[in-house]
Amino acid sequence: MSKIMLIAVILIPVFTGVLVPVIPFKKRQHMEIFLEMAVVINTILVWSLLYHRPIDNFILVKFTGNLAIAFRVDGMGMVFAGLVSFLWPLATLFAFEYMTKEKHEKVFFMFYTITYGVTLGIALADNILTMYFFYELLTLVTVPLVMHTLTREAILASRKYLYYSLGGAAFAFIGMIFVIVYGTTTEFVLGGVLDLEKVGERANILLLIYVIAFMGFGVKAAIFPFNSWLPQAGVAPTPVTALLHAVAVVKAGAFAILRLTYYSFGADFLRGTWAQYLLMGIVMFTIVYGCSRAVKETHLKRRLAYSTISNLSYILFGAVNMTPLGMVGALTHMAFHAFMKICSFFCAGAIMHQTEKHYIHELDGLGKKMPWVFGIFTVSSLALMGVPGLAGFISKWNLARAAVESGNKMAYFGIGCLLISALLTAIYMLSIVVRAFFPPQDFDEKTIEGFSDPNWKMLLPLFVFAAVIIAFGLFSSPLVKFFEDVAGGYYKVV
Amino acid sequence: MLFPIFFPIAAGLFLLFMKEPEDRKVLIGITGTALAITGVSAAYALFHVNGEAIILFYFTVTLPIYFKPDNIGILFAAVVTVIWVLAGFFSFSYMETGHGKGEAGEKRFYGFYLMVFGILLGLNFAGNMITFYVFYELMTLLSMPLVIHTRSREAVMAALKYMFYSFCGAYMALFGLYFLYRFGNTLTFTAGGVLDKSMLPGNENLLLVAVFIMILGFGVKSGMFPLHAWLPTAHPVAPAPASAVLSAVIVKGGVLGMIRVVYYMFGADFIRGTWVQTVWLTLTLITIFMGSMLAYREKVLKKRLAYSTVSQVSYILFGLALLQPIALEGAFLHVVYHAFVKCALFLVAGAVIHKTGKVKVDDLTGIGKEMPVTMWCFTFASLALIGIPPTGGFISKWYLALGALESGEGIFCLLGPVILLISALLTAGYLLPLTIKGFFPGDGYCYPEQNPLNRKKETSLYMLAPIAILAILAVALGMAPNLLIHYISGIVSEVL
Repeated sequence: MSKIMLIAVILIPVFTGVLVPVIPFKKRQHMEIFLEMAVVINTILVWSLLYHRPIDNFILVKFTGNLAIAFRVDGMGMVFAGLVSFLWPLATLFAFEYMTKEKHEKVFFMFYTITYGVTLGIALADNILTMYFFYELLTLVTVPLVMHTLTREAILASRKYLYYSLGGAAFAFIGMIFVIVYGTTTEFVLGGVLDLEKVGERANILLLIYVIAFMGFGVKAAIFPFNSWLPQAGVAPTPVTALLHAVAVVKAGAFAILRLTYYSFGADFLRGTWAQYLLMGIVMFTIVYGCSRAVKETHLKRRLAYSTISNLSYILFGAVNMTPLGMVGALTHMAFHAFMKICSFFCAGAIMHQTEKHYIHELDGLGKKMPWVFGIFTVSSLALMGVPGLAGFISKWNLARAAVESGNKMAYFGIGCLLISALLTAIYMLSIVVRAFFPPQDFDEKTIEGFSDPNWKMLLPLFVFAAVIIAFGLFSSPLVKFFEDVAGGYYKVV
Repeated sequence: MLFPIFFPIAAGLFLLFMKEPEDRKVLIGITGTALAITGVSAAYALFHVNGEAIILFYFTVTLPIYFKPDNIGILFAAVVTVIWVLAGFFSFSYMETGHGKGEAGEKRFYGFYLMVFGILLGLNFAGNMITFYVFYELMTLLSMPLVIHTRSREAVMAALKYMFYSFCGAYMALFGLYFLYRFGNTLTFTAGGVLDKSMLPGNENLLLVAVFIMILGFGVKSGMFPLHAWLPTAHPVAPAPASAVLSAVIVKGGVLGMIRVVYYMFGADFIRGTWVQTVWLTLTLITIFMGSMLAYREKVLKKRLAYSTVSQVSYILFGLALLQPIALEGAFLHVVYHAFVKCALFLVAGAVIHKTGKVKVDDLTGIGKEMPVTMWCFTFASLALIGIPPTGGFISKWYLALGALESGEGIFCLLGPVILLISALLTAGYLLPLTIKGFFPGDGYCYPEQNPLNRKKETSLYMLAPIAILAILAVALGMAPNLLIHYISGIVSEVL
């Protein structure tokens, strides 16, 4: 496939987005068709691009020296781009229905679609500079989405999101500078690009810089103590919370960390250093912290947001293992968590859309009225807990396998953290399920009268996600094999 | 072999998604047929599957879902089949509230009841640790609705407690499983263990911690101290047939888990003489004593029986922890006897509640006059649980005590049998008063002539027959135990 497609898949959504408020659509339905077509076409293009992978990179602009804006398709990029492009059309479909109750939907869909292109830009970036550029851009185009309702709460949340993200990016910038100075190239190379002769005595400084950059990108991945923006950003409409704050944006943070760790600094350079131990400690703490807060939270979407915080750190736990297997675990959880969490968020969105209920104690008995939504919510809950037969079990298995094989004593405790977190997940997810399906005998039937499952536009994405969760839970071998190839450097760019 | 596993699951799912039938008889008919078909096919399978192996599919390249029933699995599956079918038929009249109507949520109850049957058979037929784990988690999830059945606040809380304790245990088991995967040659059950000897040096302590955590994890399900608290909460709030199977069979899931981990994964030799064995023995003895003591003090009959389960299952665990052939034989025997006895006792409690609505032990004075046959069965089952010859309990306890004496495990040689005896005394203390007061109510009792409420009201045959069969089994297997003992010693000689 022609290399020009690399830039096309990024630009198509951006232009589509810009066109949405410009074109005078006669009916809302026309806009829906236009958007959905554009997004689906782009997804098809992305997938064909991944399938017929250009084996070298595409340099768009060349600045001085080795600084350039360039794109490529390599293993990691394939994972992220494939994931994002699979989810986007479904999320857009869901959003059409959801946004019927919200205002300014044209502006919303503009930014929503632009974000697609920007996220692909991160996935397909060839070097750290390009990734950084799109990373900053991602913050800017998603702020209006958080602000969407224009309530006081939303404005505060978006401001917080902006400050946190920009601050984090600034730290990441420091890391980028050091990679540029001490690396042989700025491109991503599996195994790292650091010039060890140049580093010489300054290994400790570089480790410190790595920690700073990790934490900087970690802001988007909601690592402790930079996680408080994520639950607050839940004021955004649910399609945003589901797709951006469970998948695209936060996974961009995790993706950037994986790039930084395995492709810039190099796992060999970092393994066994104090930096690894420090970061592993922070990650392990975040895993347990996120879950504990989720158990305490009574607002449905915020509970899921805290769960996201914890699960993102699962991915980072794989990343800080600094082994190829760790990377496999991280990629597996990156993919599977995306499906599980977007699924549970969409269920939450469907509940809010149909019943206007936001708090968990209001959900008593709703399982009878909305069997499909709660049925699928149950599937996603069980998957998040890691019940075997569903996707979450496989990713947890891969993460734990990596931790055990690394022989790192601290990682053993990390497995403990994963399992504590799994137990807490059972508590905060299943208590909702039990409430919905087994309301106490004395509850008032009148409170749930008149509610029903949403229409097909909302249900279809849910079914697809549930099917994916089950399918990957039962037959994950080909996908995991693919991840192993990625981590083994099979899909590299010359 | 797969049929008895998946047929009841399918039937259960069908029931759950079926529309509520107008006539209760239809529901009973479907459930009864499904139970009978499963029972027959399972019984057929038990005699024919030994040694067969089926790989269903692969989770990942190295994780197959694999069934391979061996002798121990077949023993457990036989117990499950007998009890599940009997308790199932019992539940048909237990759930009846009069005028041909059933309790609310009856359909859901039968649906999950059938599904758990299939799951348990899968658990027992599992050929490797990962398959076992899959069915273990499913067992927890699907048996939860049995506990929650009445949907009272108490039941909901108990079900949540049950579920979270169980998941805690399952995750502890999973923790060890990860290490087993690394340091073992395979996850397929192999008598004598699968540890890779070349990787052992330097990692013994790590693996001991792993096996200990796994034991504790499976101990949750079997009510071992310190994670037993869910059991006396969850078992009594369930409807009687559900408490019967929970107490008789599902707790044995944890027992089987420990057997698999200790004897088929790590190997008894690896654990013998280590701190793991010492701590494990101590915990089981504490549980035996504590369970009996709490049962003795408990006033509500079903709760008393639940505490009794805590204590009695730890007899089994004590036998496992000794890592000694005779004690192991005793443990397996006790698995069988305790299952029949406890199921019978809970069903009696259910029959009493169904007929009289009385739940407290003190209210049951004179119950023997009202429901004589039921109480006779209760008495026989009690005797078997206490361990009075010639009933089953005597034989299993004899083997357990003998094994303890011969094990040479220092202080446990003597302490074990002593605690077994004390606990047997306490068992007599908490079960026999029911019989004594039931048949000899004493002065304060109003005979039917004075109080028509206390007239004779034996339960229906549907309820009585399962109870009687179980009580007879518990006694008869004690009188003619040779076949069973022969079968069990075959298993024991494989693993030790």
